[in-house]
Amino acid sequence: MDQSKQEEEYGYNLFPERNTGNNKGKSIAQSLFTFNHKCQVMLQFAMETSPYAKLLLSAMKSSGCKVLKERHFSCEDCDGTVSGGFDAESSQIVLCQNNIHQQSHMNRVVTHELIHAFDHCRAHVDWFNNFRHLACSEIRAANLSGDCSFSNEVSRFNFGLKQHHQECVRGRALRSILAVRKISREEAEKIVDEVFHTCFNDHEPFGRIPHGKKDAGFAYRDYENRDRYYANL
Amino acid sequence: AIPPRACDDYWSEFRHCKSLRNCFHNYYTYGTSPSCKQWKEDYHNCKEWEKHRGAEAKDALQKSERNRVAEQRNFTPVWELRRDPPRDWHMPLNQEKPQDS
Repeated sequence: MDQSKQEEEYGYNLFPERNTGNNKGKSIAQSLFTFNHKCQVMLQFAMETSPYAKLLLSAMKSSGCKVLKERHFSCEDCDGTVSGGFDAESSQIVLCQNNIHQQSHMNRVVTHELIHAFDHCRAHVDWFNNFRHLACSEIRAANLSGDCSFSNEVSRFNFGLKQHHQECVRGRALRSILAVRKISREEAEKIVDEVFHTCFNDHEPFGRIPHGKKDAGFAYRDYENRDRYYANL
Repeated sequence: AIPPRACDDYWSEFRHCKSLRNCFHNYYTYGTSPSCKQWKEDYHNCKEWEKHRGAEAKDALQKSERNRVAEQRNFTPVWELRRDPPRDWHMPLNQEKPQDS
């Protein structure tokens, strides 16, 4: 199929700098007049200090997918309001430097995209042809990254309490799918419903749903101790 | 054999479980209040195991942890797990992949 159709079909039109097969170097002008440097700095900070990110990076390394900042992350300008993406073709996480302005947001986006990368690394995820796989990874990413924390939802004016977390995960997974694939809302909802129970309960590599830094810290501690843990069950 | 976790870890999990914050998050996620007493039991069994090397305490603790592991795996995955990581993960960026349509 021709390139432009493929771009639209898989959501690549949201990331105009990702010309398939073409990797341009950054000019000095690009570095000066874009948020590129700020993005790099925030990314570094996230990788070093966020317990969510550190756990995922550790888990990926153990699975044989060591993450190298220069190779696997790319700060770019993106369309609209999208914050980031995972490009399975090039094994890269895209961070939208023009849409991420706060460290807390960066931490969350890095975590979210690393969950996709982690799924890509540990399973045969058919990103392009299997909507159930795509939905599953989106459910997991919304569930485990802090995307659906109470405070984040309140800041979006989504006020809900009892079991609202699940509603949020469903909604965000749905939005993510609709943003990058051409299917109807009904179809997407059906797919999300089909895989929701399984994917909502898959907490790898956290072992729990981390609701904040303390949870994530406990999860990281558990991860570090996993050898001792499994040896003594 | 030694306990799967350091005994203090069980206590800190128990305290964390009982905290107001966690109670809130549990309600926000599951619509119920959390059940924390297993952590407390595990802590006591852990201490018992360490101090007196009792077989009962050891068995109880291991059973509890195995149950936790089983709960985490209580679903059928939608995808097949890999045996090896994806081959192109480490491939340099400017390498063209063979185009297939």
